[in-house]
Amino acid sequence: MLNIIACYKWVLDEQDIKINPGNLALDTSRAKRKISEYDRNAIEEAVIQAGECGATVASLTFGDSTAKQSLKDALSRGPEKAYWVNDNAAQTADGFVTANVLAAALRKIDKYDIILCGEGSADSYGQQVGPRIGALLGIPAITFVSELKIEGTKVIATRKIGDCTEVATAEFPVVVTLLPEINKPRIPSLKQVLGAAKKPVTEWKASDLGLGAEDLSPVNKIKEIKGFVMSRKNVLYKEGTPAEKVAGLVASLTKEGVL
Amino acid sequence: MAGIWIYSEDTVVAQQLMTMGRPLADQLGQPLCVMTIYEQDAPEFVAAGANKVFVLKGNSAWPESYAPAVAALAAKESPTALFIGATLRGKDLAAKVAARLKTGLVTDAFAIRFENGEIETDRVMYGGLAICTEILQGIGVVTIPPRTFEMPNKDTSLTGDIVLVDAGVDSTMVVGNVCPIVRLGADITKAERLVCVGRGLGKQEDMKLAQELAAGLGAEIGCTRSIAEDYHWLPNETYIGLSGQKVKPVLYLSIGVSGQVQHVAGIRDSKIIVAIDSNENAPIFAAADYGIVGDLYQIVPLLTEAVKNQR
Repeated sequence: MLNIIACYKWVLDEQDIKINPGNLALDTSRAKRKISEYDRNAIEEAVIQAGECGATVASLTFGDSTAKQSLKDALSRGPEKAYWVNDNAAQTADGFVTANVLAAALRKIDKYDIILCGEGSADSYGQQVGPRIGALLGIPAITFVSELKIEGTKVIATRKIGDCTEVATAEFPVVVTLLPEINKPRIPSLKQVLGAAKKPVTEWKASDLGLGAEDLSPVNKIKEIKGFVMSRKNVLYKEGTPAEKVAGLVASLTKEGVL
Repeated sequence: MAGIWIYSEDTVVAQQLMTMGRPLADQLGQPLCVMTIYEQDAPEFVAAGANKVFVLKGNSAWPESYAPAVAALAAKESPTALFIGATLRGKDLAAKVAARLKTGLVTDAFAIRFENGEIETDRVMYGGLAICTEILQGIGVVTIPPRTFEMPNKDTSLTGDIVLVDAGVDSTMVVGNVCPIVRLGADITKAERLVCVGRGLGKQEDMKLAQELAAGLGAEIGCTRSIAEDYHWLPNETYIGLSGQKVKPVLYLSIGVSGQVQHVAGIRDSKIIVAIDSNENAPIFAAADYGIVGDLYQIVPLLTEAVKNQR
């Protein structure tokens, strides 16, 4: 039977991140976490494809202890089992580290035919983990896929890259990264949420995967992360009749020389 | 041999990166080298200021398949940094190269600086909410979006080495059926004026309001992600945002756009941002130069009329 692994990242919900207006530092203390939107497409596609070809679907994530909460969410979306690499190295991981860990976990899982990833993550959107995994495992990685077909022992994937589409074909095992337009992720039903609690979870530490400090340390040094503020004029017309507001705006835009 | 290296499968984008790479290489006292898969373009890179051009000669027409060759050459020559055009093909290749080199990869850097003897990059995170500044280590691989830099001047009297390199290509994927995506409208990334529609528009027929305003302004029409992906009122190529198109118009005017952080990330480089929305607390107003709080069904027709009278 085919084995499909859907990778996902448990990310901070950027809607909950506040910026301190003084020093522009990020306040993530109130931020909830979520399965990265792009990765919900990966899980959904794995489940859709499995429904058509009778594959087994597992989810795989690398996160710290907070990612425990993600397992039920992921499993309620349809996979039969979950793998979780639980390690604090996730807190500082860049694309290099994440790909090292996921590739090592996949080697340990051993049975994989199709590995699905989102095209990027909702937090750092580095768009690199999927193709890195392919390179590390020495298998093809097809990126930016808008349509996926499984035929026998290969995938036929339509890529959408800027101003053209193209069709890439590769034999298993293969990594495929997906564009959000490929499907519409389900909202799990109550029954699916309840059923998720009964599904098996395998938990590893990075050391269980034979990874050392070098594999787990990001390469580039982060100098700072700060809020991106735009200085705009913020002139708001909110009082008066619609005609007065429009007249005010038109006067401003004329002065700017953009009309 | 160190050096600042540039690669893109798009020769125009590679030259744009040279505009950033030339002064950086000079500050480091290192050569500026360009890798290309098109032998015929090598002299153009020399004229644009490359000290050395590596021509990767392989038997594949698919640019992404050159990742092993780019990585092998970089491993052999150890550049200080490798800047790759952030087209989607370039991003695919960059990730595979960085994995082979066991190094970091900064995606979509919008600024590069040389400070205290190190190379720093800026990129956005959290959907455009934050900027992350990194200091490159090892062979720093960085992708930079097209049109971040202008084209360099050409001088055909400049000289540089052109070196042919036998390239091993990745043949694990077969690629075919290349079809251009036919755009129904103009390319919004190049539009001078843009009207952007969001969910504040109640039904598809109301697109007419936006079309009339756009016609009055001589603008193209873009939209938010949900208008394209959930409602399919406009093609996917016209949605603006972090994972969609990034636009740089002189005038961006939104109608019924709430202004989620990912959308705002796509409009940051606009000269003047105008928003019309009924919700005074919509985040779009914080990102706007001018805004009207009001019912777009009243405001937009009046604005269309006023704009027509102006022109």
